[in-house]
Amino acid sequence: MMNNEMSKLNSGLQLKTSRRRLLQVSMTAAGGFSLGVMLPGCSTFRANSIDDKGSWSANAWLEITPDNRIIFTLDRVEMGQGTYTGLSTLLAEELDVEPHNIDVVFAGAQTSYRNPDYGLQLTGGSNSLSSSWPQIREAGASAREMLITAAADALQVPKDYLRTENAHVIHAGSNKRLTYGSLAKLASKQNPPSEPTLKSPTDYRYIGKQNKRLDSQQKVTGTAVYGIDVEIDGMRYAVVSRAPWLGARLKSHNGAEVEVIAGVEKVVEIETGIAVVASSYWKARKAQDKLKVEWERDEDAPLDSAEISELYHKQAHADDSDSKRSEGDVDRAFEKAKKVLEFEFDAPFLAHATMEPMNCTAHVQDGKAEIWTGTQAPDIAQVAVAKVTNVSLSDITIHNQFIGGGFGRRLTQDFVAEAAEISYKAGGVIKLVWSREEDTQHDVYRPAALHKLRAAIDDQGLPIAWDHHIIAPEIMDWYVWDASPAMFPWAPKFMYAAFGHVGLLTAGLTPATPADTSAIEGAEDLPYSIPAIEVRHTKADAGVPISYWRSVGHSHNAFAVECFIDELAYEAGRDAFEFRRDYLKSSPRLLNVLEQAATKGSWGREMEAGVHQGIAVHKSFNSYAAQLVEIKIEGNDIQVLKVVCAIDCGLVVNPDIVKMQMESGIIFGISAALYGEITFKDGQVQQSNFHDYPVLRMNQSPEIETVIIPSEASPTGVGEPGVPPIAPAIANALFQATGERHRRLPLKLT
Amino acid sequence: MLIKLNGVEKQIDVDSDTPLLWVIRDEVGLKGTKFGCGKGLCGACTVHLNGVAIRSCITPVSAIEGQSISTIESLTSEDGTLHPLQKSWISHNVPQCGYCQSGQLMSATALLSMNPNPNDDDIDLAMSGNICRCGTYPRIKAAIKDAAKNLNNKNAQAMGHLAYEIKV
Repeated sequence: MMNNEMSKLNSGLQLKTSRRRLLQVSMTAAGGFSLGVMLPGCSTFRANSIDDKGSWSANAWLEITPDNRIIFTLDRVEMGQGTYTGLSTLLAEELDVEPHNIDVVFAGAQTSYRNPDYGLQLTGGSNSLSSSWPQIREAGASAREMLITAAADALQVPKDYLRTENAHVIHAGSNKRLTYGSLAKLASKQNPPSEPTLKSPTDYRYIGKQNKRLDSQQKVTGTAVYGIDVEIDGMRYAVVSRAPWLGARLKSHNGAEVEVIAGVEKVVEIETGIAVVASSYWKARKAQDKLKVEWERDEDAPLDSAEISELYHKQAHADDSDSKRSEGDVDRAFEKAKKVLEFEFDAPFLAHATMEPMNCTAHVQDGKAEIWTGTQAPDIAQVAVAKVTNVSLSDITIHNQFIGGGFGRRLTQDFVAEAAEISYKAGGVIKLVWSREEDTQHDVYRPAALHKLRAAIDDQGLPIAWDHHIIAPEIMDWYVWDASPAMFPWAPKFMYAAFGHVGLLTAGLTPATPADTSAIEGAEDLPYSIPAIEVRHTKADAGVPISYWRSVGHSHNAFAVECFIDELAYEAGRDAFEFRRDYLKSSPRLLNVLEQAATKGSWGREMEAGVHQGIAVHKSFNSYAAQLVEIKIEGNDIQVLKVVCAIDCGLVVNPDIVKMQMESGIIFGISAALYGEITFKDGQVQQSNFHDYPVLRMNQSPEIETVIIPSEASPTGVGEPGVPPIAPAIANALFQATGERHRRLPLKLT
Repeated sequence: MLIKLNGVEKQIDVDSDTPLLWVIRDEVGLKGTKFGCGKGLCGACTVHLNGVAIRSCITPVSAIEGQSISTIESLTSEDGTLHPLQKSWISHNVPQCGYCQSGQLMSATALLSMNPNPNDDDIDLAMSGNICRCGTYPRIKAAIKDAAKNLNNKNAQAMGHLAYEIKV
């Protein structure tokens, strides 16, 4: 039903949004997430309070116990990208505590933890550091001022005579050292300063200097607890059989026969299929093999990849694209062009393939729900639970855990809804674990995209117009249904669907509902100074479930843009680096990373036999990245030998984590560039596990060198900006190697 | 059924075809060993069988009855001292999401116990069955080399002392 509703809604929306939008859409750090809204009156700080044990909650993030434990509630999830360390470092800096002396706990769902860029408690869009940059430093500075005032009272000395160091207030004159914990009670009686004074960057002890991660010890000893590791008394295990065809519904099954198998406790029907609950995971899996299920197929559901590609092309020809950017006289430029270059670029659906498969432990009982999982959006998880149970949002507790890979997959809460519904219907605590096959075949995919690019070339061989037509779905059409109710936690459930409809219908029309830029981000802000530019979007939604995937629209837009620019350079008879440099004069930060990567990677040096260079540059999530690759072809095998990456992400809090994220984005991006492809046949996903959805392994992994551009600008994203440039850089090197342009991802030589 | 896990014998009552992974995780309760693919394709579930790296997700528990199994939990000694590879992992900032790292470490410790001085190809060969979606491969490689070098230096020193003592 969900799918039918969606596709009906989608066709309606296509009519609605097919008019040429005249609104100027601004890019934000939100990237693909366009629900962004700053809620008026959304309080930054939890009330300053002390509990009966004398433990002081200075604000929403910081608790100080009488025995001087410094407890930091981390509201941006740790999924590898480094928030655990990065945000703790911000607190440590302003509070004056050694970062490794901070105890980190994961935030539950609470409005004070909303990401200010989105109005939702969401970790994504590479903005954890930038959005927390003022918040967490102020949280630390505010508490520190209150502690100093408390100490001044206690010691009867002026505040100016006090300093702080590693969770102590120190009075040099009397050599007295008071722990923060001993001052907690007195501090709680102070008024939080309205504008706490933040340190001058020249006084930083940890920001820009802290390099070690704070979560490494747990992760090398096997003691870090991920969602899948949660153990609750009386817990049972659940697995779900889902429809193998897109949009198919449960028709009949032999669940009653399976229910009597030893170890099986319940077989229950849920929204997405049929769940087997057993005393162990293995018993549940074995019983699932005995399930015979009949499905009713949805005749409107897409059948295979060729059909989906046909739909995209058909939509492209309908010529009802929305103009996203229009500069100069594009039509006239094409009329007077000496030559027109026109090519199509294709990007496939992609799975996230996080190492930790989807899982969730749920206990729904007596109108209350407890959820243990790794989620990128705890408040949206609450909505997912509320929709399938009789529980209200305020009675749903989310216990978030370390996350074994997110990449956007855990923004969608389907696995949480399933676990909650199973517990609600079967009773008791259940742990739902997806198999790798289920994870691959029931993902919410990176949307496939078709790009039609045209350039008008003058008699000098130079581009005088650029026309980029993107044919792709909009992710918000899928994401809005659970996300929008989470913005209005007071609303009754019957209003949930209405929020979704209103959100989509007003997209781009109100400040609270900015337009969905997920399809066009990284294309509409083309940085090259070409005299006439047109960027257009046609919505084409095939009904395949989609969501955010590391770097979202940038992941395919950078490929199309940076490959086509390379072609234009070649057409002009110019060097690919120098041509970019000439056309990037109005984007100094992009130009700088381009030059740094070229210099560090010795662009144009004499190459060893069979080794070829390629280069690409791209801005995403307000950061600037350039990558120079060296590749080698062996048979039909494309080997990436070396990548030199230059990144400008503003002020750096933890230099080594920035490097780690560049390495991570590059390797993630190479997997997609060389192998990643989800295809459909007869309505089914054809890939299932790492043998047919391969990802990069160590023997295929390049040497990576990262150059960080020193900067005092506000910090910007690092989790995603490493991904977009790598595919076009490899494709451009592939042209050097083979003399042929490859315009379809993944890049294949056969 | 009797299994020997990290030097301790345990009596367990499960179906004989249950993969060792689920016995370790859910019967014994050691959660450091991870489930990734269930087909021996990703290495997240790597443990040692008599010192050799195996994939516990495709090893029926009946196949290892009575044999010695070690997991990530065995790498840390009782007083909390970390294995040299664990230390090297920390100093190289290897883990990101960390989910695959138990398996990576078990493959790496098996490698070093067989080959104390592996070259790049040896490391690739031993480690390519372990997938990391965060892309920590370059750091894993550096961490293994570094740990091997330190271990070899220590061994060389120990050998030096031994030679000295024998001579004396």
